Amino acid sequence: MDLAFTPEEQTFRETIRDWVTAHLPSDLSTKVHNAQRLHREDMQRWAKILGAKGWLGYSWPTEFGGPGWSAVQKHLFEEECALAGAPRIVPFGPVMVAPVIMTFGNAAQQARFLPGIASGDVWWSQGYSEPGSGSDLASLKTRAERQGDHYIVNGQKTWTTLGQFGDWIFCLVRTDTSGKPQTGISFLLIDMRSPGVTVRPIRLLDGECEVNEVWFDNVQVPAENLIGEENKGWDYAKYLLAHERTNIADVNRAKRELERLKRIAKTEGVYEDVRFRDEIAKLEVEIVALEMMVLRVLSAQTSGKSSLDIAGLLKIRGSEIQQRYAELMMLAAGPSALPYIFDAMEAGWQGDQVAGLSGFPGGNVHNAPLASTYFNMRKTTIYGGSNEVQRNIVAQTVLGS
Amino acid sequence: MDFNFSEEQIQLADAVGRWVEKAYPFERRLEISRNGGFSEEAYQSLAELGLCGLLTSDAYDGMDQGPVEAMVVMEQLGAGLVIEPIAQTWIASALIQAFGSETLKSDWLPSLAGGTQRIAVALNERAGRYRWQVCETHANNDQLTGHKHVVLGGADANAYLVSAMHNGQLALYLVANGAAGLRAEPYATQDGGRAVDLYLKDTPAILVTADGLTAGAAAEAMGIAWLCAEGVGIMERMLAITVDYMNTRQQFGKTIASFQALRHRVADVKMALELARSMSYYATLKLNAVPEERDQAMARAKVQLGQSMRLVGQACIQLHGGIGVTDEVAISHYFKRLTQMEMQCGDTLHHLGRVSDQMQATAGVFA
Repeated sequence: MDLAFTPEEQTFRETIRDWVTAHLPSDLSTKVHNAQRLHREDMQRWAKILGAKGWLGYSWPTEFGGPGWSAVQKHLFEEECALAGAPRIVPFGPVMVAPVIMTFGNAAQQARFLPGIASGDVWWSQGYSEPGSGSDLASLKTRAERQGDHYIVNGQKTWTTLGQFGDWIFCLVRTDTSGKPQTGISFLLIDMRSPGVTVRPIRLLDGECEVNEVWFDNVQVPAENLIGEENKGWDYAKYLLAHERTNIADVNRAKRELERLKRIAKTEGVYEDVRFRDEIAKLEVEIVALEMMVLRVLSAQTSGKSSLDIAGLLKIRGSEIQQRYAELMMLAAGPSALPYIFDAMEAGWQGDQVAGLSGFPGGNVHNAPLASTYFNMRKTTIYGGSNEVQRNIVAQTVLGS
Repeated sequence: MDFNFSEEQIQLADAVGRWVEKAYPFERRLEISRNGGFSEEAYQSLAELGLCGLLTSDAYDGMDQGPVEAMVVMEQLGAGLVIEPIAQTWIASALIQAFGSETLKSDWLPSLAGGTQRIAVALNERAGRYRWQVCETHANNDQLTGHKHVVLGGADANAYLVSAMHNGQLALYLVANGAAGLRAEPYATQDGGRAVDLYLKDTPAILVTADGLTAGAAAEAMGIAWLCAEGVGIMERMLAITVDYMNTRQQFGKTIASFQALRHRVADVKMALELARSMSYYATLKLNAVPEERDQAMARAKVQLGQSMRLVGQACIQLHGGIGVTDEVAISHYFKRLTQMEMQCGDTLHHLGRVSDQMQATAGVFA
């Protein structure tokens, strides 16, 4: 047992840190450190910088042009990016669909789709959830009927994150209704510019359009866009969900946000209030414990000696912690969290003469996004399999049956 | 970064686990706690396994092992609800080995390792609660006067390590049981163990170190790390017992393990256990860090363990229903031990205060 990273891992960390320091544009990191609004161009800019270095697909093996890093190296990369204030990598392409294409796609699909994902040029979206299929994903109804060399897709997806920017979407579609729900699902890649695809952004409670509804009305999809075998899509989706889950604890971001929480609490004068500071201290302990749990999973992955049944816990705990730091930041600002000024969440906003605002009320524009972030974060215990579903899974591993 | 145990560590855990199974079944433990909370025979048999001197240098007949081995052993002793004061022996031995004179070492370390003598650590006083630095006991010409409160494992000890103020500084002394002016008042504790209050009046003592602050901090850190490990062992066993019960007990025509409200509670217990295990590893692996870093880690670990132990203890009793609040089942005894452990070496609020007072701008496992 050894808590310390090896000298090689330390050197690796420093290499990453130096590179990120040199290449992360400061206007982007300023936005991230202050939770100002990130636009498509902001996310794309960082994706392309990483893509040019070959690190957008940082989890990819070398045979597909990735760096071939170990689980620990990937973690160190994520940590250095997060602490430096890099925008999050939009995961749908490089983290989610790419491993499925690598594992279950054919050579032609790999050659066609992976380069655009690796470079950051093509924006991918995820078409899983439907209005009637949330946590019970296997009940999905979007139909794909084979007609010659095409599938004809009809149905509706929802909660498609950032789908308004999407070039392509990977979808779970129903190709068979005869057997169990899980056995009639296929994994299909769809060009979002195809005729019959309609995207409608959904405004969320924070006022932002982070997710979308996507309609498919007799959309023609070439049969060559089917991944693997027809009716095996559920297996591929489960594989993908496993990929989605390992980083879902987001502990590195939590460490950065804890630093921000302390800054806000100091500025707002509640850091010296013992009752408030103790709440931060509790969160600090929770984050250290989460980090230790992540490191345990990494160690198990790296050594292959032991398998851990705790990966499912990471989603639950990570999401609760995300909600907690957002909540404490809002409470730290208190009354200053109440003004809802949509444009004040933009970088560089300096008041609104038309509305008669000389600046953010009370002077600290860093308070502008705090309540919005709190509202937004309510999603984390709902998405990716709600925490109640996660508890069912954890209970099953503990109790059996 | 590696959280795998070595082959030797796995063997050590297995050996202690087998001992618990054979020599310390629940009925035996019950009998020991009802007969005063300490068994010379059980303690001797742990000494024969080499456990009393696990951390002592081989120059003094010890096994020369480190914090991870200690953790592995404490987890097993926790799982068996072993009440024998092994952790007290380790702390006393470590303090004498680190701070004592050559005479003290050769007088005490081999017999502590062999289990023929025992020393209990008496740092806390009533006024200071968990703050062992608050000390009214004072030393005058190597004679101590004062009162030490709730000295765990202290009944029938051969000697005590007692803190006292000397020339305005906290110092650490060794006081022999039976020394002039020493009155030891023994009593049972909630967990079925035994403690004493010590009343000293001009009691002759031997100076161990004039740097009592360093020694006290080290003692507290060891105490916390081993409580964490013991707590993990207890919680893991409590969960296993509860799972067995839930898969057996029938209500409304089905096993109670089939009810979702109860299943979610089990998921919460599993979460609390794994967070605690993570922080127990953290405490153990920081035990040899520089004092400031070590103590920050211990405070964080004890906050997590305190929360986990309370959640797991209360949930496992609740999941048992009525039978869980009887004296005849093991689960209630595990619960009482867990409950007591929160109030050893500083409770959750005490350590939360330390974390809170010492917070820095950045924080994480490595900072």
